[in-house]
Amino acid sequence: MDKTTNKYLISALLIGVVFHGATIFFTLESTYDALIHLFFGNHYANNWFEPWNYSWYTGFTVMGYPPLVHQSIGLFSYIGGLKFGLFTVAIIAIILFITGIYRFALVLTSNRKVAGYTAILAVFSSAFIETLHIFGQLPSIIGLSILLHALPEIYLWLKIGKYKYLLNALSLLAVTVTSHHVTPIFGMVFFIFPLIGMVIMDVSREKAGSYKEIRFLMFLQSFLSLFKRIVGFGFGSLLLIIVCILPYWINTKNNPITQVPIPHGSRDNFFEVTSSGLVFFLIPWGILLFLLPYIWYRFYSKRYLFFGLSITLLTILGTGGTTPIPRIMLGENAFNILTLDRFTLWASIMALPMFGEFSYRFIEGDLKQKIQEKYGGVYHRILGGLFTGVLVFTTFFTMSLGYFRPSQPQKIKMLPILNFLSQDQHDQWRYLPLGFGDQMAWLSAQTKAMTVDGNYHSARRLPELTTRAVERLENSKFRGVEGIGSLQQFLTVPEKYNLKYVFSNDKFYDPILYFCGWQRLRQLENGIMVWEKLNVPPLSSILPKEDVPTFQKLMWGLIPLCTVLLAFIINIQLIWVHALKSRYKSFPVYFKFGIHYKEFQKSIFKASYLWGFLMLIFTGYGFYLIYIKNVKQIHPVNVTESYYDALDFKEFERAYSYLDPKSNKTMDQYMLEVAVTDGLLSSYAKLNEINVDIIAQTDSTAKAKVITYWITPLEKIEKIFYHKLVKYGKKWFVKPLPYDLDIPPDQLFAENITAFYNHGRRRVSSEQTYHEDVLKQPVLEVLSAKIIECSDQYSLIGEIQNIDNIPADVVITGTLYNSNDEKLARYNAKHQMKHKLMPKEITSFRINFEGIAWIDKEDHKPKTFDPDQFTAMKFDEKPAKFNLQCAGNVTTVDLYKGVAINELSINNDHVEGVLFNSGLEEVTIPLLLVSYYNKDHELVWVDHQYLPEGIRPQRKQYFDYQLLDLSGVNTINKDLKNVFVNGLLNTLISDKVVPSRKVEHQSAQFLPIEGKGFSYIKFEINTYIGAPN
Amino acid sequence: MKLRKKYIILLLLGSLICTISIAFTTVLEKTDEVSAVLLTKERVFEAGNTIVLDFKLSIPVRTQLFIHSSFGSNVIDSDKQNTAHFVVPEFMAKKKGLVSYTLLGESGSLYEGEIRIISNTKTKVHLESYIGPPSIIAGGEDYTMQIIVPTDSYDNPLPDSTAVLIRHQFLDIEKESILQSKDMIGWVNIFSYDQSGRILLFSKVGGTVSKEFSVEVYPSLPENFEIRSNRKHAYADGNQITEFITSIIKDEYGNIVSDGSLVKFIIKDAKGLLLHTQGSTVNGQAVGKILHPDHKDTWQIKAYVPGMAESNTLTIAYTQVLDDFEVKFDNDNREITIGPLVSFMEQLTSDGTIVKIDVFKDNQKIETKIKTSSQGLVRFLLQDGFYASGNYDIQIKALGVQKEFKNIKLR
Repeated sequence: MDKTTNKYLISALLIGVVFHGATIFFTLESTYDALIHLFFGNHYANNWFEPWNYSWYTGFTVMGYPPLVHQSIGLFSYIGGLKFGLFTVAIIAIILFITGIYRFALVLTSNRKVAGYTAILAVFSSAFIETLHIFGQLPSIIGLSILLHALPEIYLWLKIGKYKYLLNALSLLAVTVTSHHVTPIFGMVFFIFPLIGMVIMDVSREKAGSYKEIRFLMFLQSFLSLFKRIVGFGFGSLLLIIVCILPYWINTKNNPITQVPIPHGSRDNFFEVTSSGLVFFLIPWGILLFLLPYIWYRFYSKRYLFFGLSITLLTILGTGGTTPIPRIMLGENAFNILTLDRFTLWASIMALPMFGEFSYRFIEGDLKQKIQEKYGGVYHRILGGLFTGVLVFTTFFTMSLGYFRPSQPQKIKMLPILNFLSQDQHDQWRYLPLGFGDQMAWLSAQTKAMTVDGNYHSARRLPELTTRAVERLENSKFRGVEGIGSLQQFLTVPEKYNLKYVFSNDKFYDPILYFCGWQRLRQLENGIMVWEKLNVPPLSSILPKEDVPTFQKLMWGLIPLCTVLLAFIINIQLIWVHALKSRYKSFPVYFKFGIHYKEFQKSIFKASYLWGFLMLIFTGYGFYLIYIKNVKQIHPVNVTESYYDALDFKEFERAYSYLDPKSNKTMDQYMLEVAVTDGLLSSYAKLNEINVDIIAQTDSTAKAKVITYWITPLEKIEKIFYHKLVKYGKKWFVKPLPYDLDIPPDQLFAENITAFYNHGRRRVSSEQTYHEDVLKQPVLEVLSAKIIECSDQYSLIGEIQNIDNIPADVVITGTLYNSNDEKLARYNAKHQMKHKLMPKEITSFRINFEGIAWIDKEDHKPKTFDPDQFTAMKFDEKPAKFNLQCAGNVTTVDLYKGVAINELSINNDHVEGVLFNSGLEEVTIPLLLVSYYNKDHELVWVDHQYLPEGIRPQRKQYFDYQLLDLSGVNTINKDLKNVFVNGLLNTLISDKVVPSRKVEHQSAQFLPIEGKGFSYIKFEINTYIGAPN
Repeated sequence: MKLRKKYIILLLLGSLICTISIAFTTVLEKTDEVSAVLLTKERVFEAGNTIVLDFKLSIPVRTQLFIHSSFGSNVIDSDKQNTAHFVVPEFMAKKKGLVSYTLLGESGSLYEGEIRIISNTKTKVHLESYIGPPSIIAGGEDYTMQIIVPTDSYDNPLPDSTAVLIRHQFLDIEKESILQSKDMIGWVNIFSYDQSGRILLFSKVGGTVSKEFSVEVYPSLPENFEIRSNRKHAYADGNQITEFITSIIKDEYGNIVSDGSLVKFIIKDAKGLLLHTQGSTVNGQAVGKILHPDHKDTWQIKAYVPGMAESNTLTIAYTQVLDDFEVKFDNDNREITIGPLVSFMEQLTSDGTIVKIDVFKDNQKIETKIKTSSQGLVRFLLQDGFYASGNYDIQIKALGVQKEFKNIKLR
């Protein structure tokens, strides 16, 4: 027996721990998953036996994810804090992975050197690097590593039949089960079944003398002889899978995942979505792609036959939506729930021993000899250098992926947010982070305040979230209609969730917050903007939870760590023997079945060469495609698209380079023009689609009609531009659009404005706000309100006036009832109103009753992005009555009223006009509110239109509003008897405060237009100011 | 057997005596019952004083006292063994109200009774006062309510008809009155005066005074007002700004309306279309601003505080800045230069004047082009490639002047 320590393994461990251990400090926190595990770790650290967590999703159970890794993080956090726990567990994962792959290689190849090589290569395996440093999937890594550790023990049990080995194997399997649930289930299929096949082969070989002579009958006989052991092991492991995480299974049964599938890159067609192809195919396979023929050849030799089948399956499943096969094999359901990247991970891990074997043969074995004989020593060295080069390149590339293409926003300093939440009882409401990426989990882990969002979507319960394929509300802009739609529901009816604060790290969401009635509180010192909503009640002190029996809590809290302890005690002897070689012990039995690396097969040698060349050609072609894509000015369509692409990404210097160089527009002038344009389109829009039509073309000029589709947080904008293009030499250029030359009359001007300040609490006190510091709620009066029916959709419309002497923030909640006074629906007015009213100001409003989208499975989801998409609530019965609750609260901000309507003209069904900003603030997004009235001066409809461009002070902006056809609109009920303001009856208020109202004033503002279903319209203007002075 | 008989009689006799004596002794013991008498004379105590309940027991036995007050129930032990001397705990002795007690012996209740604790008028008076709502409207209809709860230092409300002095100040008025508290509180409605301002309130009981409270009196609804306009000149140059300024808007009592009240200016132009601008008041005056029209127009302006007040109607006219402009056709009529656009003093119009041309072919509008002027000039290009050679009609509009050119030939 060889008593020396395996120096390859030792170096692999050293390199691995130093390399990965040092780099995780820079990568792990910006991975997708690590912080989620940290959050769970924090949960266990605080409530070891309590599975209910209030922090996310209005409460969820942590029994939806096996707890071992999270509990370990929690346990280590007692020593040095949560991050210490995370990094310690990560380092343990690294060690387990390297030793695990070593043992797996050993049982597969029966050669300690090969296994050593495998261990070293595993350190640089791009799949492992990606999983750890980019995805941060710690439970997955630990689960897989322990499974690899279990494989030799399973082999020995099946081969020898000593109960000791069964015990070892099962104890390790138990740890796998408690750390990751998917790994043992699929591991059974893809790792353990092939291993069993291999054992049977080995047993058959012992009988037959060589693998070649094994026939099916003999294989069957061996199988039968081992049948008892296989079944014993099978039942044992099944029992473990069920018992160890029994609460998980019970929870899965009781709370089946209702979440609709969330798109994942691993299910894309990799040719269509090349970025997914890169991340989920090219990177995990990495250098192994060059060695596929060797790997497959070896795996399809008789001994490894079942591994061959397994790796084939894994490879195919890992290709996601590229081929229809995975979808057919897994079925529609499983395909949409599983993330398929794990199959590629397993395939590449399974291939590692063969890569190790190849390297051994290449570096010091028969392949080296063969190459040296054939082509000489220098060639061998060059080839070796090339291989090393590719390996180093893929390692660097994978490691730096997160640096060059960050998947996460910049690291956010959490301390100011934590301080904000713990000050002044702010944590008595829920909050919502926006644009935080996965760092939201880190925030949740540190505060006791709760959020409506969360980062573990299988655990969600609110139908507003489960029916939509939204990963998180926090990054909803990446999910189009479902994202923004979901977010809008939370922002419109925040009272339902006690949601009062929004932390915005992405100004994209600012307009939607404003138009949903939120107001800016202040910017924290880390640059995060805090938005606040008035009139939201605090959380009640007792919150609902779903309790589970104590035995489940005990099982969940105790079993995972017990499995680790047991596995440690049982296997410790093994580790000592293996690592230190302190005691004489014979080689394990699988050492008998190694092959001698004598003659490298000629055909495979040639095939490898051919394949290598093919791969080189593919790579070259790929680079060529990238180059071609970057040539921009060969065609008018090309240059127009490039111009808009540059504008979209705010690369204005690049955009300028596409402009006609002879157009007298200097770079400075262009940049200045760009700098002064603001508005929905230029500051908050993302180009979704662009269609360029060349409407006329000569040799050197062209005229293009550019139809652009922009996504903004508020709505989808379609805008048509006309461009002239010129050609100089071989390049096409875009003629710059004429610029508005308007000169405002005043260089300097003064204006008196009324500004307000509210102290909040005048006394610094940790108690409730003093009685005398509480202001009276501003009194509002509802002038009219009614239920309107329009093609089976119901809305509440009306007008409300602030009749108090102080500015008011207005929240309007409408409830519809049927004729039996049963409640049908309840919603708030969203953006079809002015939420902030000056004293005596009037606003029209419309409440749309929004349902939860796609609650019916049959409803088809739109394929493309449309933030304006609206899902009307379905009414089984006809609404007959309504209740309107209006609340006024004192506000001091967003009271800008400086925009006037300066010019109007009516052309058929269009109203064209000019808005003029007469005040001191730059209006970023103007909103036109259009109220329609019938000939009796009664309100019949309220519509809105956002203007895509902003208005600077003393400037004009044109608008063009298309009048609606309202002939199908019916008024159902206009009785004001159930209208309440601040809890008081509206009729009482109007009798008392404005007893002799001059009703004719209302109609003085009406613009007479004879239209379909209306006789007058009225314009009102609401303004969003992006950067208030 | 004689002997036996004797023994039996003796035995019977003995047992008879035994039975009788046992019977007698039991009866005697039963008659020996414990009774208690309350020694303490007072039935009414002042809060905060020590309350001692002393009972005289006929036989010294172990007793307990069960006491019940609005604060809750309690069982207390006697000070010494086998006596009945009880001290009511301090927390109960501090609270005003009825206290019922039951003296418990070993076999049950021995004595029941009630004492009354009244508020302690000898301690310093404390005041709890509330004012609400904190803002009301001038005119004498709206009111705020002042509530005073005088208590002793143990937070027990003082007895009804305690005199409460209240005083308030508004402008140069200072008023004082005395309330009698009833049902533990003293309260009064304070109606607003005709002026707006701030009412300061205060209350006093005994030697204790409250802190200062303030109630804001806001002006009432605005009354009709006047408007005037202010502009740099009367020309329709589309560039200068006209201001509409209200008179100082007041309510019916002459109070200037509160700052920030929104005034809407509705402008009816010569075509009957409605433009509008708005302003919020500062010291009662609101200013609305709007650009001059760029064509001859007459505006009728009326301002509203909707539903409450309106202004007079103001009529102002804007005169055209130019009667005509030059149009030059160059480069085979493909380049159209309009201008110089000359304003009322023969100066160039300010940059940004809108010039619109409509191009017609065979009486069909092909295109509308809009450009803004620079240095009084606007240049349009009808490029070949887009405009095939032929005859076109061109309509040009600027600053309210419209010119038409028929059959312009492009080559």
